[in-house]
Amino acid sequence: MKPAAFDYVAPRTVAEAVDALGTGGRRAQVLAGGQSLILEMRLERIRPDLVVDINRIPALDELRVRDGTLRVGALVRHRAFESAHAVPGPLGALFARAVGNIAHPPIRARGTMVGSVAWAHPASEWCAIAVALDADVEMAGPRGARNLAAGDFFQGPLKTAGQPGELITSVRYPLLGDDTGVGFVEHRRTHFCFAQVAAAAALTARGGVISEARIGLVNCADRPLRAHAAEAALTGVEIGPPLDGYRLPENHPFARAGRIAAERDAAPVAEPYADLEYRGHAIAVVVARTLCQAASDQRSRARALEGESR
Amino acid sequence: MHQWGRREDQRLTMGKGRFVADIEVPGCLDAVFVRSKTGHGTLRSVDCAPARAVPGVVGAWAAADLMDMPACAHSASVLQDLPPVPHSVLARLSSDEAVAGREWPALVKERVRYAGEAVAVVVGEDRYLAEDGAAEVTFEVEPLPAMVRPSDAARDSFPLFDGLSNVALTGEAGQPIDDSVWRDAAAVVEGRYRQSLLLPTPMECRAILVAPDADRLTVWAGHQAPHRLRRELAASLGWPEDRVRVVVPDTGGAFGSKSATFPEYVVVAYLAVKLRRPVRWIEDRLESMMVATRGRGQDQRVRLAADADGRLLAYELTIEADVGAYPHLGVGLPMQTAWMATGPYATPKVHATVRSVLTNTMVTYPYRGAGRPEAAIALERSMDTMARRLSMDPAELRRRNLIPPESFPYETPTGRRYDSGNYAGALELALRTVDYDGWRAEQARRGKDPGAMPLGIGLSCYVERSGGEPGGLFEFGGLEAGEDGSITARCGAASSGQGHETVFPALVARTLGVAQWRVRLIEGDTGEQPEGLGSFASRTAQVVGALLWHACQLLIDEARRRAARMWGVPVERVEWSDGTVRDAHDRSAVLDLSHLVKATGPLKVDDRFETGMAFPFGTHVAVAEVDPELGTVHLLRLVAVDDCGVVLDPEIVHGQAFGSCVQGIGQALYEGIPYGDDGVPLLGNGLLDYLLPTFSEVPPIEVRHTRTPSPGSPLGAKGAGESGCIGTPAAVVNAVIDALQVADPDLLQMPLTPDVVWRAARAPKRGEPR
Repeated sequence: MKPAAFDYVAPRTVAEAVDALGTGGRRAQVLAGGQSLILEMRLERIRPDLVVDINRIPALDELRVRDGTLRVGALVRHRAFESAHAVPGPLGALFARAVGNIAHPPIRARGTMVGSVAWAHPASEWCAIAVALDADVEMAGPRGARNLAAGDFFQGPLKTAGQPGELITSVRYPLLGDDTGVGFVEHRRTHFCFAQVAAAAALTARGGVISEARIGLVNCADRPLRAHAAEAALTGVEIGPPLDGYRLPENHPFARAGRIAAERDAAPVAEPYADLEYRGHAIAVVVARTLCQAASDQRSRARALEGESR
Repeated sequence: MHQWGRREDQRLTMGKGRFVADIEVPGCLDAVFVRSKTGHGTLRSVDCAPARAVPGVVGAWAAADLMDMPACAHSASVLQDLPPVPHSVLARLSSDEAVAGREWPALVKERVRYAGEAVAVVVGEDRYLAEDGAAEVTFEVEPLPAMVRPSDAARDSFPLFDGLSNVALTGEAGQPIDDSVWRDAAAVVEGRYRQSLLLPTPMECRAILVAPDADRLTVWAGHQAPHRLRRELAASLGWPEDRVRVVVPDTGGAFGSKSATFPEYVVVAYLAVKLRRPVRWIEDRLESMMVATRGRGQDQRVRLAADADGRLLAYELTIEADVGAYPHLGVGLPMQTAWMATGPYATPKVHATVRSVLTNTMVTYPYRGAGRPEAAIALERSMDTMARRLSMDPAELRRRNLIPPESFPYETPTGRRYDSGNYAGALELALRTVDYDGWRAEQARRGKDPGAMPLGIGLSCYVERSGGEPGGLFEFGGLEAGEDGSITARCGAASSGQGHETVFPALVARTLGVAQWRVRLIEGDTGEQPEGLGSFASRTAQVVGALLWHACQLLIDEARRRAARMWGVPVERVEWSDGTVRDAHDRSAVLDLSHLVKATGPLKVDDRFETGMAFPFGTHVAVAEVDPELGTVHLLRLVAVDDCGVVLDPEIVHGQAFGSCVQGIGQALYEGIPYGDDGVPLLGNGLLDYLLPTFSEVPPIEVRHTRTPSPGSPLGAKGAGESGCIGTPAAVVNAVIDALQVADPDLLQMPLTPDVVWRAARAPKRGEPR
């Protein structure tokens, strides 16, 4: 299949882009990296009248930290996060752990983090991280700019609270403190395909006790989720020592949290090669393993902090 | 400057290849097919009128429109209606009997029999416009129950062809085995195996361009058998063959899937003639996934008997094959499995039966391996089951049963005559290469460590058949020496990426003793080479290599005769070496081939040459680590020991072995077509829905060779193209079963996706109560 005919504009400012998106009730699509849009247009599952290419808007490629907040502009490519040092602290480590799971280097060089948020695929790594970390989605529209919490932004498979005519200009994340350890584990059939299940975790601990847990679930429902019930079960739990082997004891708090995430937080959808029974089980395992990874990261960060303070 | 390993690589890797879609013929139209989304149903109506109104659309037709198309052009007297899809009896892949009463219309007439079957064609000034037109065609299909499993279709509740059974062919190999054999045997094991339908997935999908010129047609197609395509298209059009020329330009892979005359090809050729304009069809990936041929597709039941010492007594294989909606191309393919059921073992009694069942899917057809993987997988899984039953090391069980080297030629109970082999040699080399004992020790260590993921080692000994079936073991071609010193080789083969341009000039140069750069190859063009069979069944090195070697002997003989005449000496006195003739008694009488041609006129030799069937063999070993919690399989190591007789080009044979091993891994772990409840494949997201192994999934693969020449060919070469697809899958599956020690290995049906492996990992282990 080949795309149906469409008009194309390449505005130079956000205002021009918003103007273009709002013109005359036409079906308009924003083109950033094109990672999903181009494919969907080729399949004619999306037949826009107008493609608004934002790649020539200079302000949108900014990656900036100010007042403890990271602002990722709409043109920042996935590739920018491959180094754990691109973003300060544990947040950079989390992004780096997640980004390697996104497609291949050529796609990571074009696709954008904000584009993934806008597309809202249930298997998107970035969307789940945004939800877990309470990121803010910044949008410009015909009625001005507005912000929406990521938790309110995602409404279903490829469905968001964004309105026609609105352009996401950036996503903002609070930086993570050095007492926070991060983990990201993805399970999929081959490196090429979407996650069957993945999870992101950020564990903050004081004196070896978890004071805050954040868990994002990838492809565990029709939208990205934050595993609130599993998080609650982890507060006050000891980070504990490292574990041998791949299998957690059933009564380990992380194994328990994994099961809570699967049973109470997730709402999995059946797919070929992943029915509800398998998917539920895989969620529990992946969450538990992600927590182990985050705990390990937290322990080594805590050790490093102790080293510094001596 | 880097020297490419293959002549064609500079062109192909620098973007200078010329594929069908790169060929620019002025005024060429693009064809787009409108396809049924229903797998089985009655076609009630098709309305192409809205498509014809789309700007840039030249025409749009359903089958009914082409039945009463106004006669035009020179050929109208013989070209009335759209012809049906031809069937082929080559290699007994189909038969007149199986297709009787079962017409395959090139566009659906009354009944849709597989999802994606074309109900209309739209031709436009370019592909985009034709697509726009195709989007406007409307049609109505009244659904019938779609049957995608042979067991469902074989019940004949819903015949695909009214009044005819869905069982389109039955056959057997070997003699039925007496009940007493099973009763009296010390050990009998049984198994049920599903060989999923697979997609051949060449990088370039199918492509054809047909250009009419006066009363002639030039056809460019990515194709494995250009002479067959010429013959079948000419017959469909009612034309003599000499008015059709088929040219195969660069072709991006085939793996068996590009050797037939497909419905789309018939339509495109027909429209080119009718419209008197060039028309092309460039299949895209989604289309290919829905409607290109499928491979494999068998439900198997096996029984294997052995005595207490592990000597095999009898093997029985029952095949219910899924051959797709029409029996025209591959209804007889499962017989390849039956004939190879004996495998590499000296089992005295072997019996295989086949039922080929029509189902609502695109037809099955040879896909790299073509019947032999199915045979090897069934037998090798059963061998591991037997080894467990006898508490015997699986390598030892095989060792006790492999046909010994002194037994060749070996007549199998299933009707094959194996030419040569040293099966134990391949097994031992594989065990040494992988460090079998070392991995067994590691497996035992992990068995005692609850924190370690379980590990398994899987063996697979195979023997296969290369060269083709009797009646198709020959090829045509020749050599031409030029006055400028050039030597041109021609043959009926056609490369779809295997490196013919490198291997054959090197072979000719080596045989004649001339520099490689002097030799070039022309193939894949019926205008250059009047007769030919093509490249399939791992036959090209074996058969075409032998033909070109033979042509070199003819050329040398003719050069010596000419020199003898010129010098007035007996021919016995004229010697050939390094591209020159010389008089053995007169050191001054020396003539280079080019000078001989200048002096005596054009020198051209042509012939047909035939070899025997050959039987390559080998042993593959896989080492797998399994994550029982998620069901993930990590291949740690794969060793492939293949014996393809005499290797003509080690680099190319290595590439063939490596690539086919990766496809074997694909069958074992990843590749499968999911279906909806309505019998329609769920492939809407392309290769995201049908996973191929990619770079990240390829384990360290070590390819080694033993060398047992084939006595049936002067070069001793056997086919090397399919070894991994045949040998690798069972090694991988056996490794997973070995890791999990499941009591019921039939739980592990390919592809071994995580959910399948996870379920098997939770099932009772060997020795546990079920």
